Amino acid sequence: MSVETHGHVNPHHEHPDVVGSRNRLGLILLLVADIAFALGVIFVYFYLKGQNVNDMWLPKASDTQDATVPVSSMGAWYVTFIAAIGLLFHQYALAGVKLKNQTQLVLGSGLAFLASLVALIYQGILMNNASFTITMGAYASCYYLIAGLNVVHLFLTSFISLGNWNRSRLGLYVSDHWHVRIVSVWWTWMTISSLLGAFALSFT
Amino acid sequence: MTTMMDRPASAPGHSAPKKALIERLNIFTAFGLGIIGAIVFWYIAKAILPANTAGSYIKSNRDQWVLLAMIGWLIGFMTGIGAFIGPFRWLLGKDLSHEENLFYAGKDLGVKRYFRYTTDHKVVGIQYLVTTMVVFFVGGVLAMLIRTNLGHAGGGWLQPQTYNAIVGMHGIIMIVATIIMVTGPFGNFIMPIMIGARDMAFPRLNALSLWLIIAAIPCILSSIFLGGIPTGWVAYNPLASQGPPGQDGYIMFICIFALSTMVAGANITTTVIKMRAKGMTWNRTPIFIYGVVASVALALPAFPFFFLSQVLSAMDRATGSTFYDVRGGGSGWLYENLFWIMGHPEVYVILIPAVAALMEMAPVFTRRPLFSFNMAIMGIAGISGLSVLVWAHHMYTTGWAPLLNGPFMLTTELISIPTGLLFLVLIGTLWRGRLWMTMPTASIYALLWNFMIGGVTGIYLSDVPIDGALHGSMFVTAHFHYTLMGAGLTGAVASLVYWFPKMTGRMFDKTLSWIGFWFVQIGFNIAFIGMFLVGLAGQPRRVGSYAALFDQGNMITTGGAYLIMAGMLVFLYGVISSWTHGAKAPMNPWFAKTLEWTVPNPVPLENFDVLPVVTSDAYGYGKAQS
Repeated sequence: MSVETHGHVNPHHEHPDVVGSRNRLGLILLLVADIAFALGVIFVYFYLKGQNVNDMWLPKASDTQDATVPVSSMGAWYVTFIAAIGLLFHQYALAGVKLKNQTQLVLGSGLAFLASLVALIYQGILMNNASFTITMGAYASCYYLIAGLNVVHLFLTSFISLGNWNRSRLGLYVSDHWHVRIVSVWWTWMTISSLLGAFALSFT
Repeated sequence: MTTMMDRPASAPGHSAPKKALIERLNIFTAFGLGIIGAIVFWYIAKAILPANTAGSYIKSNRDQWVLLAMIGWLIGFMTGIGAFIGPFRWLLGKDLSHEENLFYAGKDLGVKRYFRYTTDHKVVGIQYLVTTMVVFFVGGVLAMLIRTNLGHAGGGWLQPQTYNAIVGMHGIIMIVATIIMVTGPFGNFIMPIMIGARDMAFPRLNALSLWLIIAAIPCILSSIFLGGIPTGWVAYNPLASQGPPGQDGYIMFICIFALSTMVAGANITTTVIKMRAKGMTWNRTPIFIYGVVASVALALPAFPFFFLSQVLSAMDRATGSTFYDVRGGGSGWLYENLFWIMGHPEVYVILIPAVAALMEMAPVFTRRPLFSFNMAIMGIAGISGLSVLVWAHHMYTTGWAPLLNGPFMLTTELISIPTGLLFLVLIGTLWRGRLWMTMPTASIYALLWNFMIGGVTGIYLSDVPIDGALHGSMFVTAHFHYTLMGAGLTGAVASLVYWFPKMTGRMFDKTLSWIGFWFVQIGFNIAFIGMFLVGLAGQPRRVGSYAALFDQGNMITTGGAYLIMAGMLVFLYGVISSWTHGAKAPMNPWFAKTLEWTVPNPVPLENFDVLPVVTSDAYGYGKAQS
């Protein structure tokens, strides 16, 4: 390999766009893994539903156990709706940082954080109020799996959104804003993931 | 925040300045906090989780305690090593300063940097190398226990349950060791230099991937004390759900390892796509880089399925869900599908970088350009693409979707075409080359021989009727050892000898490399041809005793295994003695043309004073002015 060694790049001062582009690709590749996991979860749901092994997808009432009555999927759709609202707030913040409007950035990212928190708490309430336990058949197991995935995603979103809001508040996105754009990629995927879960739960 | 770099030195009579948190954390604090975390979670779990398991088929309190203790271990360990400092500093808006990043990179820390959450890719590469060798050592000891037990008919000195547990442990430990054996040490140490980068794209994620693996190892080792893994390395459910708490160690090991693999996959792929030197077009990118990227990129979508299979397994054991339990509407086929969607691509995750490493060495030791660079890339791409479409050939005999057996047989047999392309590339490069006969050169021939046997027997097993006869026999065991060990490990050991001078600054002892090579290769072929014979005769795998008619073949195999052990011990001695007393290596002992040989020994912290600009490919051997 022939090389010339007169090229020069200062290793400590890469252009923010270069760093941002690299980080965005890294996140997208991590999302490939997360998307595969989420699709695997959806596959589990429809596979077990399709198999209905021993008629235990939704077990009927027995001497020892009540029948498993599926929950309304509306709860899952509400979670998705709140997540989508959070995504819109985040996009509002992103528009703010592009316009160099600090108030809009802080307001949007703060509201996005609150939305993620509301969705997380609401998801927890839904799980707690389900009329069945995880042991009551394959549907019940899958319901808690999908809800659990939502909880993990929303917890991560809350952490990221809190950091995003805090950094916005501290004025760290004045010179470059690739962090905000990358968080936007995560918000989008998290909302889609929640939507996939709600979609699956609509088929009982 | 005061950083360690800009603090004034303590004046006489004054107390020493307070150490920053990242200076205090190392492997000892990691293990300390990990153990504390495990104990705390264990007691909390025992205190608060209800003992009543009514309404559940397989849920057990002991599984809840063990799994939670292992989660506590992981959180404590990663806290103790400093993995959470970066994310929380980001959250607080207090990004790491340049000086702190240099500290993380191990600047001026000497040998201590190998025991910290160091981000320098070269340190991570060495850490991976040592970790891989330790894991191989454990797996090798287990292999020798297995072979010693199978030394004569009628069962050996191990109890059947113990034998099964050892087989399962050996299997999963060796699978993980072979997955990381090339991409870990060489993908981390060599790859960034080879593409002309100063470091990986995400140095902290790089350290994270390494320390996750180190955190995972005690989980699998703890299985020894928790009843072992008596299910084989595949841990099929619902069998595994009835296993002892040792299965929980398996579950945590796989979950943590899958996280590590995903992180490493994103990091390595981003590094190659975004950080290649100026002028290093895809046509000028060395073939080893393609191999590493194909491997980790394949793992990215595949390993989440393995992760998911174990999450469901953990939920069944600890919460009473019924994903795999047919009494509650679950399905064993579900596990098999999730497992093998990862399981077969994983074979190529292991093989591709090892073969690519030997393709990288072939031009160096034949002084010829790589034969048909484009064909090599097509071969790698073809294998990667097809490997995700073959998983159900492991399930012919399970009764799952018999109508799909034919299509899966076809896709499996098709994969021999791109594999054949890689053979052609290697043979074409060796053909009429002026051979420089080193141990890596001989390894290319060994790979061609071993991989040919492994590949051809793989075609037998892909055939539905023949698989019906051979499934679950020692023939299968011999087949995958010929591919993963005969091809994969051969490539990895050759890589070690080849890149040892750059990684350690010393030459690998030539005599020891040859002795080790011949012991291992002769022993390997004796061991596994013997295993083919008993497999064809009908000896089942994963059984600790056998009928007298298999006695001769097993004696041959056990004898071969001892030769392999002798060869591996020679290699191990070679690594230690060469690293400590070996001859100092020149900058480019093989007169190779890739970029890693243009940097001095030891490689500077940021690899290049000035980033290189590439003006030709890496295989211009035998050409004028090359």
